[in-house]
Amino acid sequence: MNDTILSVLIFTALALAALGAVKRIGLWRQGRADATSMSVGELIASLAKVPRRYGVDLHHVVARDRYMANTHVATGGGFVAAALLMVVVYGFGIDSAWLGVLLLLASGAMFGGALFVRRRRLDPPARLSRGPWMRLPKSLLVFSASLFVMSLSLVLPEGVGGMISGGILGLVLVAGIAWGLLEMIVGMTGGGSRITGPTKHAFAGALHLAFHRRPARFSTRDSAGIRDSALLPLDLTNPEAPLGVGKPSDFNWRQLLGFDACVQCGRCEAVCPAFAAGQPLNPKKLIQDMVVGMAGGSDAAYAGSPYPGDEPRRAPGQHGGGPQQTIVGASPHARPAAQAVDSDSQTVASGPIQMKAAPGAAGEATDGDKLIHEFKVLVEPETLWACTTCRACVEECPMMIEHVDAIVDMRRHMTLEQGATPGKGVEVLDNLIATDNPGGFALEARLHWAADLDLPRIAELQAAREAARDPRPVEALLWLGDGAFDMRNQRTLRAFVQVLRAARVDFAILGAEERDSGDVARRLGDEATFQSLATRNIATLSKYRFARIITCDPHSFHVLGREYAAFGGDYLVNHHTSYMNELLAAGRLSLDATRLATLGAVTWHDPCYLGRYNGEFEAPRSLLAALGLEVREMQRSGFRSRCCGGGGGAPVTDIPGKQRIPDMRMGDVRETGAEVVAVGCPQCTAMLEGVVAPAGEAEPQVLDLAELMARALVLEASTQGLATSTTQPTDAEVAA
Amino acid sequence: MAFDALFQPIEIGKLTIRNRVVSTAHAEVYATDGGMTTERYVRYYEEKAKGGCGLCICGGSSVVSIDSPQGWWSSVNLSTDRIIPHFQNLADAVHKHGGKIMIQITHMGRRSRWDGFDWTSLMSPSGIREPVHRSTCKTIEVEEIQRIIADFAQAARRAKEGGLDGVELSAVHQHLIDQFWSPRVNKRTDEWGGSFEGRMKFGLEVLKAVRAEVGDDFVVGMRICGDEFHPDGLSHDDMKQIAAYYDATGLLDFFGVIGSGCDTHNSLANVIPNMSYPPEPFLHLASGIKEVVSIPVIHAQNIKDPNQAERILEGGYVDMVGMTRAHIADPHIIAKIKMGQLDQIKQCVGANYCIDRQYQGLDVLCIQNAATSREYMGLPHQIEKTSGPVRKVVIVGGGPAGMEAARVCAERGHDVTLFEARDELGGQITIAAKAPQRDQIAGITRWYQLELARLKVDLRLGTRADEATIRDLRGDVVILAVGGRPFMDQFASWGYDEDPAKSLIVSSWDVLDGRVAPGSNVLIYDSICEFSGVSVADYLADKGARVEIVTDDIKPGAAVGGTTFPTYYRSLYAKEVVMTSDMVLHEVYREGEGLVAVLENEYTGTLEERVVDQIVVENGVRPDEALYYAFKDGSLNKGQIDVESLYAIKPQPCLSQATEGNDYLLFRLGDCNAPRNTHAAIYDALRLCKDF
Repeated sequence: MNDTILSVLIFTALALAALGAVKRIGLWRQGRADATSMSVGELIASLAKVPRRYGVDLHHVVARDRYMANTHVATGGGFVAAALLMVVVYGFGIDSAWLGVLLLLASGAMFGGALFVRRRRLDPPARLSRGPWMRLPKSLLVFSASLFVMSLSLVLPEGVGGMISGGILGLVLVAGIAWGLLEMIVGMTGGGSRITGPTKHAFAGALHLAFHRRPARFSTRDSAGIRDSALLPLDLTNPEAPLGVGKPSDFNWRQLLGFDACVQCGRCEAVCPAFAAGQPLNPKKLIQDMVVGMAGGSDAAYAGSPYPGDEPRRAPGQHGGGPQQTIVGASPHARPAAQAVDSDSQTVASGPIQMKAAPGAAGEATDGDKLIHEFKVLVEPETLWACTTCRACVEECPMMIEHVDAIVDMRRHMTLEQGATPGKGVEVLDNLIATDNPGGFALEARLHWAADLDLPRIAELQAAREAARDPRPVEALLWLGDGAFDMRNQRTLRAFVQVLRAARVDFAILGAEERDSGDVARRLGDEATFQSLATRNIATLSKYRFARIITCDPHSFHVLGREYAAFGGDYLVNHHTSYMNELLAAGRLSLDATRLATLGAVTWHDPCYLGRYNGEFEAPRSLLAALGLEVREMQRSGFRSRCCGGGGGAPVTDIPGKQRIPDMRMGDVRETGAEVVAVGCPQCTAMLEGVVAPAGEAEPQVLDLAELMARALVLEASTQGLATSTTQPTDAEVAA
Repeated sequence: MAFDALFQPIEIGKLTIRNRVVSTAHAEVYATDGGMTTERYVRYYEEKAKGGCGLCICGGSSVVSIDSPQGWWSSVNLSTDRIIPHFQNLADAVHKHGGKIMIQITHMGRRSRWDGFDWTSLMSPSGIREPVHRSTCKTIEVEEIQRIIADFAQAARRAKEGGLDGVELSAVHQHLIDQFWSPRVNKRTDEWGGSFEGRMKFGLEVLKAVRAEVGDDFVVGMRICGDEFHPDGLSHDDMKQIAAYYDATGLLDFFGVIGSGCDTHNSLANVIPNMSYPPEPFLHLASGIKEVVSIPVIHAQNIKDPNQAERILEGGYVDMVGMTRAHIADPHIIAKIKMGQLDQIKQCVGANYCIDRQYQGLDVLCIQNAATSREYMGLPHQIEKTSGPVRKVVIVGGGPAGMEAARVCAERGHDVTLFEARDELGGQITIAAKAPQRDQIAGITRWYQLELARLKVDLRLGTRADEATIRDLRGDVVILAVGGRPFMDQFASWGYDEDPAKSLIVSSWDVLDGRVAPGSNVLIYDSICEFSGVSVADYLADKGARVEIVTDDIKPGAAVGGTTFPTYYRSLYAKEVVMTSDMVLHEVYREGEGLVAVLENEYTGTLEERVVDQIVVENGVRPDEALYYAFKDGSLNKGQIDVESLYAIKPQPCLSQATEGNDYLLFRLGDCNAPRNTHAAIYDALRLCKDF
């Protein structure tokens, strides 16, 4: 009789799961459709990619945590096998001792895995969500134990088996299995209800792998996946299309599906620099908020770490929304992040949320609470503006979710539709619009630091070559970037020019024709300004012939090399560390490493836009090795490097937190005991140099790799340029 | 972008200058080889270019003609082709670092001396004697005028052939061109005088000849003053008219403008404003000239600070700022701005040690930077870390010698402890800064304070180090720079007693330091005639005392330099201080409540008496030698500095001796060795310690 009950249970569970799946798919389809609809064949082809994407790409991320990878294989794999076997054995009534043995193995493995799940849940790290996840090990254990014992009845002699499967024990086992099916199968999709369980990630996750918005991230049989990190362009030509994402239904459906795949493991939270700095961002909570918005409701059920900050409005249940409701609210008073105090009403407008400033009076506090509820929003703007776009969350996400895309999509709405860019963001965008650079300088000023270097302008060089019928393209076009306006970065540029001259590189600059790459505009959501800069830069570049572009700025490197392609700009772009490494390998540079002998140990800070965005981890390390320096790696380096806090416009939006991101990063540097932190990005240089050492501690020196190289250059007499005839140029000379 | 006005390049003629900072023309007194730009000269300018200076205009008052003597101030001699290869060295050295270099060329007319070298017949438009140099002269003849015009053109050719970027015609400081301009000097009635055009003619002919010789591809500028400040001299409006007149020719590429004429002692002091002047006192004059001309205007006068320079440029008052003394104090000022090391800039304090030496025909040196112009000897502006043993260095005394020794040793990477008995660093600088108008000299100390803190020197302030304390530290090197004390007991008849209650006289230190209250009727006896005596007179007068300052020398303040004694005199005369010369302090005795000073005339022996309530004696410094003799015998080197090595800027031979256990090397620096001046103390400290 229990077999019948089990059969009914299984099919009921599957039916409920299917019902829930339809509803869930309906939620995702609230999002915007693709430009072209998918054929059935494409749908099947997409689904067929899941096993490889799961087994190879996703596993590659999961396997970074061996403990959980093995636990997951045993638990998840055991459950899937057990569920399939149950369908065969109980659903279709195919009774065989062999199947019983397999069921025992599957449920046993699951039980084993579940023990490890439970062990981790005894004292779970803060990044893990609680709530239903605390229940999960119990569900897993009860189910797997029940199924194991129940399966014994299939392999043991009839009499013994009957004793197990029949009677009270049998009922208890069935109940245990039912619990498990409810948790694992029904919970996967919610069975048509609003309540889903932890296993939702398996269902949505598998489909997310199939329909991921960035297929290039995944490997195929023929090629490895790439770091597909270029932001996707916004279609500014379609008057119907929303400018960015203002409400959950503005997301592409694949993004909504991706949010639903979140397993709340909190790996993103653990690596997020803004979260660690106490800024009001937690990538995991943000994704969960998107799920709340997609399904409608409040965040009361969220059981993970909140957005940092101790204001009452951070408490669970204070935020909510729906698929058609604006995410950050569209208050007419919207002045995000900037706190405007209206002196008459004593009302503090903080973002779109109106709160009574309660000067200690209990009655007024109640009013304030009421106001919060009346103006309930899904996410507060400062959460979105706290992101440095460092992609650490994306890098760590085992479900391949694209947090940064989502954040930039929402920023686009806030900037383009609401004009609500916070802090100095407005000024920077205004400057970019008016002057083509974020500082509002005259474009000629980009070259002020180089007045004494006689850098060749590509226009003049090309004209001269054309006149001389010299067909050579310029070997390298040096893209100066906006660091050229910054006195500190000018030293880096001067050092790099010295390296180029020492290697006799045939290089030129655009001069006043160079505009900002558009990086900051794009990360601040001003896609229109970005596209305007990009198309004009591309038009300029198209006039000239050069073999490649080189730059000391990873942001320019990324934008020119990766993001201009969508607008017809296809260039070979090298970061200066890669290029110097190439020059060195080609024997075009000669170094005297003894010159750096007194420098001390060095650590390399991987810039996000060089490393995580573009996968260049080796060239800088190989240069440091060639310089004979003792390199000490920070605990968080390479693809796990911690952001300096300078990306994504974060320095201009300047969302307050408990500590500063660069302070934490310099803490990482000091931990290594290195006396120098080598950098390769103007932003990182500025952020890290701005750190003041704790009292009594020496601050490590921040030096760009170009500066280190310049110090070790062995110059031939004719390439000296800046140097005296007898001695190596001092820093003062390079700076001057 | 910080300092963006300062770092904006500028075009002068066809020349691009990388920033707005100029080291303007000054007489260096380094062209010692018959007016050639020697290695010293080249290295001095190379250091500025290396440090980032945009434009150097070298060779203040470089002569174009043989009858404008160069020997008195070792100025550059452009009257011969021999200069051309020397210029090539100079131009290469500056260009190599991205800098540009021009030279000021002139004929000084009557503004020189005739009593030496070629025993020149000095010339001026109307043969009127010049007071500052006490120089008589002849009235220049037309043939001579024509020859000198040609000399200017030839000199410009030599500058161009030598690879320099331009020339600046000096029509300032009452040289020949502006001697013709000034109706106070030019009384001619021929075509070279009289009317405005007549007075302008010589300068115009010079300019035309020069431009014709060098063509368009070479910068030609002119330095003028914005107002002579003489009632019968050229006013600001006159100068505007003159500037506009030359600008209209289209032959000039820039103007350099300064305030004040300088053919009297009093006006000379304006030209190189010392520390008593406010910042950029004559900017308005340069700005007034800029108003009427179409070419860039350079202005230099008391612009020492990067923020000040930025403010001036941002305001558009002038196009370029001269920061000449700022570069003498720290040739790396631009690089330090760019490196974000503003606090490490050694800022000029306006002591005018540089220019006051120049007016005596001595080489220009900086009171606080002993490396300046000694680059060729191997004295570094940036001290390198030692590659040898790290030593424990114990320094006693935080005056100039001790501070410099501590800085240099710490830069070398040694472990440095510095004792100072007072609660603050500075030694006698601290006392000197107490006088009115002299507070800025404390800037020397301020820089050391910042540097010693940056270098993490173990400072023990308020600690009088005794023998035991010093020995406890077991230093490898002990440097004594404890200074000295006022020399009050030279004559028993002065009535000095170590007990202040019994002493009839007090020292200038006691007064300036505030240890002794100012009297109301004070006699100062100053046998030294340097800053200290006039400072204490100014201080007491400022406090309301009736003051007479007496010296047995020529005049009180006689040893104070030419750009500084006038500012003292302005103050002392205004406060009715009586200055008495040629009297020796013979005896002091008490009479009732008052004191009687008996003065004896140096030349007649006549005695005079003054009844006063306070007698201040300034009689120099006696070295404090007690500590030295306590340590001397125990030291490896018996306290001796090997002078041959010291003068040759070589390491002391005793440094190669290993110090073990209680062994130590002993040196003494500054006034505790022999009382000299701030520069001497710093120079000795630098050249001694740079090889530790």
